[in-house]
Amino acid sequence: MSRVVRLIGRRLLSSLPAIFGVVALTFLLMRVLPGDPAVFFASGPNTGQAEIEIVRERMGLNRPMGEQFVLYLRDLGKGDLGNSLTSGQPVAKDLAARLPASLELTIAALVLALSIALPLGFVAAMRPDSLVDQIVRVFCTLGVAVPTFVSGLLLIFLFYYLLGWAPPPVGRIDAFASAPPSWSGFLLVDSLLAGDMETFGAALRQLVLPMTTMALFVMAPLARMARAATLAVTTSDFVRTAEALGLSRPRIMVSYIFRNAMLPILTTVGIVFSTMLGANVLVEKVFAWPGIASYALDALLSSDYAPVQGFVLLIASIFVILNLVIDLLYSLADPRVSVE
Amino acid sequence: MSHLRHLGMAAAFAVSSLTLTFTNVQAQTRQETLRIVSGGAINTLDSTLLNATRDSLGLSVNTYDRLVSFTRKQVNGNWVFDLYKLRGELAESFEVSPDGLKITFKLRPGVTFHDGTPVTVEDVKWSLDRAVLAKSGAAPQLASGSLTKPEQFAIVDDRTITVTLEKADQLALANLATHFGRIINRKVALQHATADDPWANDWLKDNIASSGAYIVETFKPGEQVVLKRNDAWKNGIDGKLPFFKRVIIQTVPEAATRANLIERGDADISIDLAANDVIALQQRGKVKVVSNPQINAFTYIAFNTQKPPFDNLKLRQAIAAALPYKDMLDAAIYGRGAPLFGGSWVGTPPTLDFPQALPLKTDPAAAKKLMAESGVAPFKTSISFSTANAGVAEPLSALVKEALAPLGIDVEIRKLPDAQLATVATNKSFDVITETTSAMLPSTDYFFRIFFQGPSRWNLGNWTNQEIVNLAAKARFEPDKATYDTLAKKMIALEAAELPVIPLWQPNQEAVMAKSVGGYTYWYHRQIDIRDLVRE
Repeated sequence: MSRVVRLIGRRLLSSLPAIFGVVALTFLLMRVLPGDPAVFFASGPNTGQAEIEIVRERMGLNRPMGEQFVLYLRDLGKGDLGNSLTSGQPVAKDLAARLPASLELTIAALVLALSIALPLGFVAAMRPDSLVDQIVRVFCTLGVAVPTFVSGLLLIFLFYYLLGWAPPPVGRIDAFASAPPSWSGFLLVDSLLAGDMETFGAALRQLVLPMTTMALFVMAPLARMARAATLAVTTSDFVRTAEALGLSRPRIMVSYIFRNAMLPILTTVGIVFSTMLGANVLVEKVFAWPGIASYALDALLSSDYAPVQGFVLLIASIFVILNLVIDLLYSLADPRVSVE
Repeated sequence: MSHLRHLGMAAAFAVSSLTLTFTNVQAQTRQETLRIVSGGAINTLDSTLLNATRDSLGLSVNTYDRLVSFTRKQVNGNWVFDLYKLRGELAESFEVSPDGLKITFKLRPGVTFHDGTPVTVEDVKWSLDRAVLAKSGAAPQLASGSLTKPEQFAIVDDRTITVTLEKADQLALANLATHFGRIINRKVALQHATADDPWANDWLKDNIASSGAYIVETFKPGEQVVLKRNDAWKNGIDGKLPFFKRVIIQTVPEAATRANLIERGDADISIDLAANDVIALQQRGKVKVVSNPQINAFTYIAFNTQKPPFDNLKLRQAIAAALPYKDMLDAAIYGRGAPLFGGSWVGTPPTLDFPQALPLKTDPAAAKKLMAESGVAPFKTSISFSTANAGVAEPLSALVKEALAPLGIDVEIRKLPDAQLATVATNKSFDVITETTSAMLPSTDYFFRIFFQGPSRWNLGNWTNQEIVNLAAKARFEPDKATYDTLAKKMIALEAAELPVIPLWQPNQEAVMAKSVGGYTYWYHRQIDIRDLVRE
């Protein structure tokens, strides 16, 4: 056990230089962008140079860039990500409030996508080039070809506007319902902890459409990867041997095919998950979902440095943790793979 | 057995009557609750901050009181604010001295803040001092009404306060009626002031200390604000309370989602739907649409007149003659606005109002002729606009590009992120730009002070005309109506002759609401004043 802990510690430590690189690069990149946030925020009809200077001072932009960076690192060390002018709040507070919303949506969508895409991929691989395989292919192509904001709006039109089955597609909980006391920030978890089934149901209903929209989009890479991986394994020597030795079909499928096919799928899941977390601006916008991606985009449009830097740092850290988790899962799926 | 049955029936009856009252209460609550959906976000409770959004400003009007307020009047069957007629809000009465140099306010008796303490002249004085001294957007705005120093605000007695002016500024009183003139609960604010932050900027950003019609119940920046009515409020017209007891304001970024919510009846009002959605909703007839040309805003194309070749008047005139105005209006906003082209006057404009329709019309032959006279050789240029404005500016710019090609002008369309556009606009590092902007106080001299002179972002024509500067400065302090008229008309005539800016139209504000909602008023801040609304 202590070996695993040491291992995790070492991996996290070795990722520090990468994180530092990301921090430095984002810091520089934001300042190289042509938009000047001070000018943007101080551009009321009667504001002038004096007001621009006020904003510049508040953002610390009146200091030399080297000094700005040192101060930024010092603040980071204290867990202070700076203040967002766009939202008017500390960035750390904003991200802490919004990350659970993004995570809840992304995890739910990923679970949904996996539970459909994996069986589809396996079935398609078991009967390559059959009718089933073709149907799966068409289905996946459609999913990835329709942009999320189109499928999102279509789902809203159908299930909310026409049929009235879905609740108003605004945010994580009905405007007239009250949120459960916040423990984890995940509404589903919090409402269960509070034993409040009504809120649980309300939160779940809000989740269904955005989650389906996201799932539709990511099902294609997952199903294709599942198909390809399974196909590669089914034609391999050890499966042929297993068949020759007369092992039962279920045994071959579960212990030999499925387990070996999991490796490339796990890698894909890791990539898909982190992409979904950061890149789902459109789903967040369409469903007024208070997540981190739309937060970062709004800040980027107004060249608001602190929130963008905070967001990139957060996503980078999630990547590091996720990669570690995937690697650990890898060694579970395949004992030959060692994390070291 | 029969006992049990009775018991069961009694229980069933009790349960059903309980649910009945419950649903009644719920329906009642919904009836008295207003749900607003907006594409914009409320990012602070202090609308005077430089980074405050327009939605924050609308909230401030509903949560704070000012000494005075504009009144409203009927225009074409709609309620529109009246810049020139004011009423007391926290002030029971107000009086401007005959020379226009002193304004005397008498506070309404028995008015209290949300915490129950009385609103005093000290609170008023402190709030106005704060507005001109604290680092915020209030100081530069109030300066446009000659309100710059705390010495101008004097307490006379425990109900009377005066504002003195060096010159009789036409907009001093009007500025005090804007959200920048709000009155803050001084005692509460001072409890949260620090040595670094003597005006409690930090605290007021997320908290309200006011006497306003609504109390903030929850505030999630960028997401949702819930308000409850201040039942002790007596500063409305005839002391009437607002109709809605509870208000939910939500940010819903996607316009199509907002349209769906309104049509399904889940939301009550939205003022920023997409034009094509508004048309579709109107045709299906399930909602009410209140359309008002935004009298204090305009969409225009501005030339960087300091940068060749746009310093050439003939070239600007050639471009003005080449533009397909009607097509642009139809393509950009589906014709839903008041045109600022096609005026039939020459020389002196018919009224003193600005913006008003200038004598501009599409005439390709004249454009070719003017282009030849300008002596400008074919050239490449660009038209810039912000991402936020793209819905309107993109089709508009495409038509500009198409119309100018025959003149030998090759226009590149530059869609820039908002901050980048602000930067090029302020640095004047653009060729041509298209914008939609508004002035809070739509008097002609104010328009010319903001949009047609000086180094600010909004002098987008980069115009440096000394005559305009003189005329606007004179008009600002001109008490005589007839003289003001003449000055205003001169400025408009100059703009029409020099064309640093080609005004295109005043887009409609389309307020889309449930059929049951009435009383909507178009205000200077172009946001919803919840206090006007009722459910009929």
